[in-house]
Amino acid sequence: MPGNEYKKPLPKILPETEEYWKAAKRHELFLQKCKNCGQVIYFPRIICFKCLSDELGWFKSKGHGTVYSYTIIHYQIAHKSFESDVPYIYAIIELDEGVRMISNVINIDPFKVKIGMRVKVIF
Amino acid sequence: MSIKGKCAIIGYGETEFVKSKNSGNRSNYTEQCNAAKLAIEDAGLDKSDIDGLIAICPLDQKSSWTMDLVEYLQLYPKFLDNLYFGGASGNAAILYAAAAISSGLCNNVLLVGGSVMDTKQAYEHGLEDTVDFERDFDTIYGPMLDNSAYALIKQRYKYEFNAKEEQFARVVVNARYHASKFPNALLKNLVAVKDVLDSRIICDPIHLFEIVMPCTGGCALILTSAEMAKNSKNKPVYLLGGGQSFDRGMWTPVYGNNPSITTSPVKLAAKQAFAMSDLKITDMDFVQLYDCFTITVVISLEDIGCCEKGEGAEFVEKTDLTYKGALPLNTDGGQLGRGQPYGGCHFMHAIEAARQLMGRAGELQVKEAKFGLVNGNGGSMANQCTLIFGNDIP
Repeated sequence: MPGNEYKKPLPKILPETEEYWKAAKRHELFLQKCKNCGQVIYFPRIICFKCLSDELGWFKSKGHGTVYSYTIIHYQIAHKSFESDVPYIYAIIELDEGVRMISNVINIDPFKVKIGMRVKVIF
Repeated sequence: MSIKGKCAIIGYGETEFVKSKNSGNRSNYTEQCNAAKLAIEDAGLDKSDIDGLIAICPLDQKSSWTMDLVEYLQLYPKFLDNLYFGGASGNAAILYAAAAISSGLCNNVLLVGGSVMDTKQAYEHGLEDTVDFERDFDTIYGPMLDNSAYALIKQRYKYEFNAKEEQFARVVVNARYHASKFPNALLKNLVAVKDVLDSRIICDPIHLFEIVMPCTGGCALILTSAEMAKNSKNKPVYLLGGGQSFDRGMWTPVYGNNPSITTSPVKLAAKQAFAMSDLKITDMDFVQLYDCFTITVVISLEDIGCCEKGEGAEFVEKTDLTYKGALPLNTDGGQLGRGQPYGGCHFMHAIEAARQLMGRAGELQVKEAKFGLVNGNGGSMANQCTLIFGNDIP
């Protein structure tokens, strides 16, 4: 948004995460898949945590998942840039591809979020 | 070769725990040096007897803290270490020191932790002490330090096992009951279940009273060989078993391997500790469990085998957990009752076990206590170290 500086923490782009963030900029959620053993990997790594192969490829996640767990954050003292967002949802999402990721659940009354709820990725 | 019964705690010391705002002239040095001094005196040793050191680095210090402390106190250790995996570090330090003593590397190890810790400092540390992937795939979503991590575990636990808030609150009620009778405790006022439920929600479903209060304080203990402990002025408290398990797969954001965040690595750590000790959970006269949050205690109780998975909340509701009850739990008040001085808190539970097994717990003494279990937890339940102590070697 013009004139509105983004004050929240930003990721640092590393060689192994560059593709991920490029995809995110295009509003696509990218995951890695090990070319040797097929393990799906999130967050991006330089090596497969299952078989230690460094032959990893990228694919686009369908972007659908389930709320595995969540918390409604009522007090945020550590990260000041989130203070004005309370109450907000900080959650673990289990993607249909089988990996879990931390994210926020938005566009819903935080008090209506439930474990097992279906969610889809937006940017 | 097992280290069962090869080493013993022969002394300990704790500085007075104070609220952060009352720290006055106290510093990381006052807490660790004074706790060390008290422990050496209590063990009846001279400083020159100490030939091993493991010190827990305060959050605002560099990891070179341990070697700096060697210089500060003019110690001459033959064994030196500096562990850094959160609340499991204290128990792990005891286990590693026992391995070092048993293998002949050294004789008397000083284990010390403590710091001046205020909430602001803890928060600032939380912001700085972040590895790349945590910063880039977790911090950007606004976690609230450890509170949000444990809230995720508790929320999932409630969902899977239909546990009630009133049941979790029992852990706090028990902690405060013991703290009210323990001299060196900060939260001495008794609370009822309703008080816990009425305390404000920080990260749903975690209430303020379910969270430890960071404070200032230091704790130290002396571990020596069982052989040398025979001549100790205090009753030796033998290390009978120990086990560790680290499973970052269960935690942020390295998901994928662990099927559930409601079963912790305590299970494997405790299994190993029991196997080494040739004892079982029913032999324990008390348990001292790392209690940064109520959910930690409930899951630990299950995973050390007090009850089945999913029955922990009901267990704390129905069991007398006081020092005179069926399963005495955190008989000094634990961290929920005494406060959490970073680094010191890593050793608090083992020290309370030693206090009980030496028969020095005063009003809170568990009658005829012979064996006790201590669990250390860190990394939002990813790091676990379980120890079993006894005042006799079975």
